[in-house]
Amino acid sequence: MADQSDDKSSISRRAFLGTTAGAATLLGSGSTAAQQAPPVPEAAPAPAPDQLERDLYSAPPTATASAVNTPGSDHIVQLLRDLGIEYVVSNPASSTEGIWESIINYGDSPDTMPQFITALHEEAAVDMAHGYAKAEGKPIVALLHGTIGLMHASMAIYQAYHAQTPVVILAGRDDTNFVRAQSANDIAGIVRSYTKWDAHPDTLEGVLDAIHEAYRQAVTPPMGPTVVVIDAELQKLDASDTAVPAYQPRRIRGVSPDQAKDIARSLLRAENPRLIVGRLRTPNGVETAVALADVIGAATDSRAWIDPMSFPQDHELSGPGASADYDFILGLERGGRDASIIGPHRKTVEGRDVTGIGYGFVREPPTPIWGPYAPPKPGANDIVADAEVSIPLIIAEVWNQMTPSVQRRIDNRRRANAAANKAARIAGLERALEQRRRGWNGTPISTARLFAELYALIKDEDWCLPSPTQFTGQHNRAFWQHTKHYSALGQAGAGGMGYIMGASVGAALAAKNRDRIVINIQPDGDLNYVPASLWTAAHYQLPMLVIMHNNRAYHQELMYGQHLAASRRRGIDRAHMGLTFRDPFIDYAKLGQAYGVESEGPIDDPEMLFAALERGVETVKSGRPYLIDVITQPR
Amino acid sequence: MGRLTLCSLLFVSGLVAAQSDEADPAKGERLFLDIGCYSCHGYNGTGRVPLSTETSGLLGSETAFLAYMRLRGEKAQLYPSREMPHYGTEVISDEEVLDLYAYLVSLDDDPPALEDIPVLQDLIDDAKADKRDDTTNPE
Repeated sequence: MADQSDDKSSISRRAFLGTTAGAATLLGSGSTAAQQAPPVPEAAPAPAPDQLERDLYSAPPTATASAVNTPGSDHIVQLLRDLGIEYVVSNPASSTEGIWESIINYGDSPDTMPQFITALHEEAAVDMAHGYAKAEGKPIVALLHGTIGLMHASMAIYQAYHAQTPVVILAGRDDTNFVRAQSANDIAGIVRSYTKWDAHPDTLEGVLDAIHEAYRQAVTPPMGPTVVVIDAELQKLDASDTAVPAYQPRRIRGVSPDQAKDIARSLLRAENPRLIVGRLRTPNGVETAVALADVIGAATDSRAWIDPMSFPQDHELSGPGASADYDFILGLERGGRDASIIGPHRKTVEGRDVTGIGYGFVREPPTPIWGPYAPPKPGANDIVADAEVSIPLIIAEVWNQMTPSVQRRIDNRRRANAAANKAARIAGLERALEQRRRGWNGTPISTARLFAELYALIKDEDWCLPSPTQFTGQHNRAFWQHTKHYSALGQAGAGGMGYIMGASVGAALAAKNRDRIVINIQPDGDLNYVPASLWTAAHYQLPMLVIMHNNRAYHQELMYGQHLAASRRRGIDRAHMGLTFRDPFIDYAKLGQAYGVESEGPIDDPEMLFAALERGVETVKSGRPYLIDVITQPR
Repeated sequence: MGRLTLCSLLFVSGLVAAQSDEADPAKGERLFLDIGCYSCHGYNGTGRVPLSTETSGLLGSETAFLAYMRLRGEKAQLYPSREMPHYGTEVISDEEVLDLYAYLVSLDDDPPALEDIPVLQDLIDDAKADKRDDTTNPE
C-alpha cells in the first residue's frame, strides 16, 4: 500500500484548516479588500492523479490485468461451475472485476453456470441469493465489493443468518484501489458476528480451498451465509500451474443407530403417532419425510404455507388426522415441543413421547449484537442431528421391526387419517370462505379477494410464493394448497424490511429455467427500500408477477402509533404523520415501467382485478415480469 | 374486551346520556377514517377485525357502544389491552361516539353468497372432489 505522504497533490487537513483560519483572520480585520469582494472559499483537496484518471475513464488497466492467459479468476469460475453454482449475483466493483471478466468470457460456454446477474444494490444481491437458496435448497454466490459492498449487504446477510439460509459470499479486496477507505485489513470483520464462517487466504490455492469450505459450511446444518475475501491481484495472477481441486462434501450427522431404533419402536408402538415437519434441508428431505409418513400412516403437520422444504399439503396425511389424541410426536426440523396439540392429549408425555430431530432449535444467537435474545430451547428428548439424513435410518428400522399385525393397524390408521384430513380441509375452507367473502365487493380491494382470484388463475400452474404474507392477511394459509418444496419461501429471517423484492427475484432466477412462475404479493413499504431489483427482473426476463399490496402506509407502525397516541390521550388525528405515503401517493405502475417491467394500475375497483391478474399471469407464463398496483385494504 | 361483560357495559351505559337524534353518520364516517378505525377494521368495516361479523352485542345499541368506548377510554388502566386503542374523550367525545355508531350500523356489507363467487365455490368443489382418501393403497 502506498504511503499517503507521497501524494504531493493532496492538502493535509491541518494545512487546510490553517489556510481557512488565515482567511477568517483576514475577514475579521475589516480590510477594504475583504469587504468589497466575497470571500473565496478554499478549494477542496484536489483528487489524486490516479483517482482523476479513473474518474475520467482514462486510467489504463494494470499491466497484470490482461497479460496472463490463465488468470486466477478462471480457476475460481471453473470451481464455481464444478459446484453447480447457477448464478453469481453481483453489484460490480473494481475489487471483483477479475472474477466478473472470467464469468462472462471464460470457457466454451461463458456466462453459463454461473451466469453473471447484475443487482443494483448489494443488499438486493444477497436477498436474491437468499431467495434462490430457499427455493432450490442450495446456494448461489453473491459477489460483493469489500468493505462498502459488505456494508450495503450487511442487513441481508444478517437476515440470511437468522433464516439459516446457505449463501456463499465472495468479497473482493483491492489494496491498490484509489479510494483507500474501501480496503481494510479484516474485510469480513464487519459481518463476522452474523456469518457462519469466513476466510481471507493469501494464495490462489488457498482461495480455491476456502471457497470449497465456504460451500461446505453454508450447506451443512445449521446452514448460513459464509464469506471468502479474495484479493484482486489473486484474481489476475497467472495460474497456469494451479489445478482446480475436486469438491469433497462433508458428512452430515444424523441420529445414531440406537436412536433410530428407539424412534422406530416408538412410532410402531404408538396407536396414533404424529409427525410435525418444519423446514428440511433440501428437496430430497421432503421426499424422505413423505416416505416416513406413508410407512407409518401418521397424520402430519406441515409448515409448507410459511416455510420451504416442508410437507406437501395435498398429501392425504397432511392434516390433524382422525384424532388429536396423539401418543407419540416426532418433530422433523422442529422441536417436539413445537407440536400444536389441540384437544385432549393425555397420552402424550413430554420427555417420553415427544421427540424432535433438528439443528434449528439449538442455534446459538449471533454475538455480540443480541442481548436478551435466547434461542429456542430443545425439549428434553430432542436430538441435535439433521432430520433429512436421519429419516432413511428411521424408515429402515421401521421396516426391520414391522410385523403383519402392526402393518394392518397402520393401514387402517392411514385410511382413517386420510378421510379425516379431507373432511378437515373442507370444513376449514368453508369457515374461512364464509368469513373472507365479507367485503368482497369493497373498495379498496379486499386482500382475501386478491388471494382467492389469484389462486384461481395459478392453481394449475407450477408456482412459487416468495413473499411472506403476515402483512397481507395470510389468506394463502386458508385458501391455497402448498404442494412443492418451493411453494412458500417464508419470512425474511430477522424481520428486516426490503427483503421481499430481492428474494422474489432470486426465486425467479430459480424459476426461469424450470418452467415455474413466481408470485410476489409485495407490500408497498418493503418495496421502497430496494425497488431497483425490478430492473434485474426486466433485464433478465424473469417470470415474476408483482402484485402490489398498496395500503399506502407503514401500516403495522401506523396501528401501533395510533394505539400509543390514544393511550397517551393526545388524539389520533395526527398519527398518519411519518407513517403513511400521502401527498403524493406513490405510482408503482410508473415505477415498474421506469425499470422496464410491464405494469398497470393503480386498481381500486374489485371488478377490474381479475382481468388484470389474468393479464399478469399470462405475461409471466410467457417469461416476462409484470407488475399490478392494487389499492388494498390495510390488511 | 374479553374482560368486559355485557352486563357491566349495560350498567355503565345507564350513566351516560345518548343523543341519538342528532347522530350524523357522515360525521361518523370521517371519524372512522380520522381516528384510525379503518386501519384494523378496514375502510368499510370488513378488514382484519371485521365489524360485519361482530356478535358480542357491543354494536347492538348506541348505549352499549358508548359505554364500551368510554370504558376503554376512561378506564383504560383498569382494562389494559393491546387489542384496540383507548379512545378517551380527548380523542372522541360522547357525541362523536354516537356519530361513529350511526356510521357503523349504516355499513351495509352484503357480500355475494358463496355460490355466487365462482373462485371461492371452486375451492370448495376442488376440495370435495379430491379422491386421495378414496384411492389409498396400503403398501
